[in-house]
Amino acid sequence: MTVLLDPTSERSPTIRPRLPRPQSLDGLTIGILDIAKSRGDVFLHRLGERLGERGIAVKYYAKPTNTRPAPLPLRQQIATEVDLVIEGLSD
Amino acid sequence: MTDRLPQDGLVAVVKRDCPTCVLAAPVLGDLARNGGLTVYTQDDPSFPETVPGRVDDTALDVSHRLKIEIVPTLIRFEAGREVGRTYGWDRGEWRRLTGVEGLGPGLPEARPGCGAKNLEPGIIERLKIRFNETGLKSRRIEIGKDEDEQEAMYARGWSDGLPLVPPTEERVLRMLDGTARDPQEVLGLVPPALAAATVEKIAVNAVMAGCKSEYLPVVLAAVEAVLDESFAMHGVLATTGFVGPVLVVNGPVRGRIGMNAKGNALGQGNRANAAIGRALQLVIRNVGEGRPREVDRATLGNPGKYTYCFAEDEEGSSWAPLSVERGLKPGQSAVTVFAGYGLQGVTDQKSRDPESLSRSFAGSLLGLGNVKLAPACDAMLVISPEHHRTFRQAGWSKARLYEELYRLCEIPGADLVTGAKAIAEGGPASLAGKPVNKFRPGGIMIVRAGGDAGMFSGIIGGWSAGGPRSSLPVTKEVRN
Amino acid sequence: MADLEARGIPTVGVATTEFIEGAASQAKSLGIDPALVFIPHPVQDRTDDELKKLADDHLEQILAMLVKD
Repeated sequence: MTVLLDPTSERSPTIRPRLPRPQSLDGLTIGILDIAKSRGDVFLHRLGERLGERGIAVKYYAKPTNTRPAPLPLRQQIATEVDLVIEGLSD
Repeated sequence: MTDRLPQDGLVAVVKRDCPTCVLAAPVLGDLARNGGLTVYTQDDPSFPETVPGRVDDTALDVSHRLKIEIVPTLIRFEAGREVGRTYGWDRGEWRRLTGVEGLGPGLPEARPGCGAKNLEPGIIERLKIRFNETGLKSRRIEIGKDEDEQEAMYARGWSDGLPLVPPTEERVLRMLDGTARDPQEVLGLVPPALAAATVEKIAVNAVMAGCKSEYLPVVLAAVEAVLDESFAMHGVLATTGFVGPVLVVNGPVRGRIGMNAKGNALGQGNRANAAIGRALQLVIRNVGEGRPREVDRATLGNPGKYTYCFAEDEEGSSWAPLSVERGLKPGQSAVTVFAGYGLQGVTDQKSRDPESLSRSFAGSLLGLGNVKLAPACDAMLVISPEHHRTFRQAGWSKARLYEELYRLCEIPGADLVTGAKAIAEGGPASLAGKPVNKFRPGGIMIVRAGGDAGMFSGIIGGWSAGGPRSSLPVTKEVRN
Repeated sequence: MADLEARGIPTVGVATTEFIEGAASQAKSLGIDPALVFIPHPVQDRTDDELKKLADDHLEQILAMLVKD
């Protein structure tokens, strides 16, 4: 395991932090990414329905296969079309 | 390992790659047969053949703990404590420690030893790291076993966009060999975070930038210079303007570390030029937290913000080096930092006299920032050797050239009023009626650099033109 | 997930409780701290209605990971 010395002022935690979140969901689009494990689609679609009921825009995406990471064009597409992502369902 | 050290008895540390150890091997064999001697071997576990019970210390743990410096070393322990040691082969010394007469009958009286393996460069750092004796205080970041080192550093925001050299403990220790200064010495607080720039933190960033340890003193001087209040680092960083710190190096250090003052001096290809400028930028980014689109609000910035560092071409110049002009002694190595950007080229392949060439320079200088703005900013004029020759042959000192340029940069105030020349930019109507200089007094610095062929000089534009909140150039001595 | 966050898209992952340890060790080896919500295992043999209820029950938890607290 490689150990590096921290070149920074050390004011932030060592683990890569999560991205800052928006104040609210108003006006934002949520992408729902199905990682293609079976039965996940039912769960995810229900989430999408409930979000729609709240007036939140939703876009659906699906990985072509569960066994490999999402292909690059799909990731690029998601990144340009939505503001937030819910990804599931891992087991 | 240490639990193998005897409470009472003798310890010898040897290596095969040492003629004196080989010479003394039979003596060790005799002493071992008498009992009470443990032999540790640093390099080849099959040596010495004369001591069948020898102990493998190729990991050098015991050598490190016993602080071995020379091999062979012979140590006597009594009641668990070391009571005496000797180095090399010396019959008298060995008799004193062992109490045995007539050791090594066929051997010379004495023979000096060899350097111990545990002190070899590279090895000593690894031992210090393993035994946690480095004295390095920076937080350790463990890179996940499935993380690529480069991606890990990018993801943590350490990079200026280009790949970094991973700052392992070994590399940082070796970098710190480049200075005699205490790694925990604080050079100052780096804006905007106002975090402490210790020698160690600077060394970590210098490793990432690609510096060799011999560049570190120059990097330290550069950091000292930007942290000088008169440089106004916070303003330089936070501006919407173009500038970043530009470094000019003078003195013997240039040659010692192989900097480039000649062809393509302001361009790529020289490791010292590239890495020293980059190290400074990484310190600003990582220690100071000065990053684009955060505190750094530059609209366009300029490519010099990756790195902008070059050496002045002093040899054969009829002018004093910049550092001497700025008050340091001739022969002193120094770094001058200037808040500057880019390069405006001045081509003049026809001027044969200094007056004509000066007018070429002035014409370009007057365009800095905006033709309608004066004083616009400071400027650094980088004069190539062929252009400098024109001044040298005419017997012009640097002072004479400054005087000429200053005169040529005087502008009728009416030309600068907003709306004049059908350009809205400009100053108040009150400017009309008196001349205004494009530069504040002392606002132009002149250095010589570049290849010997080519009638091209360059202007590095500055940021501000004096005044209480502007940035002034700062020169600092390079110390070891 | 790490890739989408690297592209500027805050992401929350939903997994079953079976995945808790795997997720932790993957996160550690990648040096990240992903936003995750765990639903009770198993999922494969649940009816559609049961899955819809799980979604309803966990919606707030999931959304909480996507906004500032």
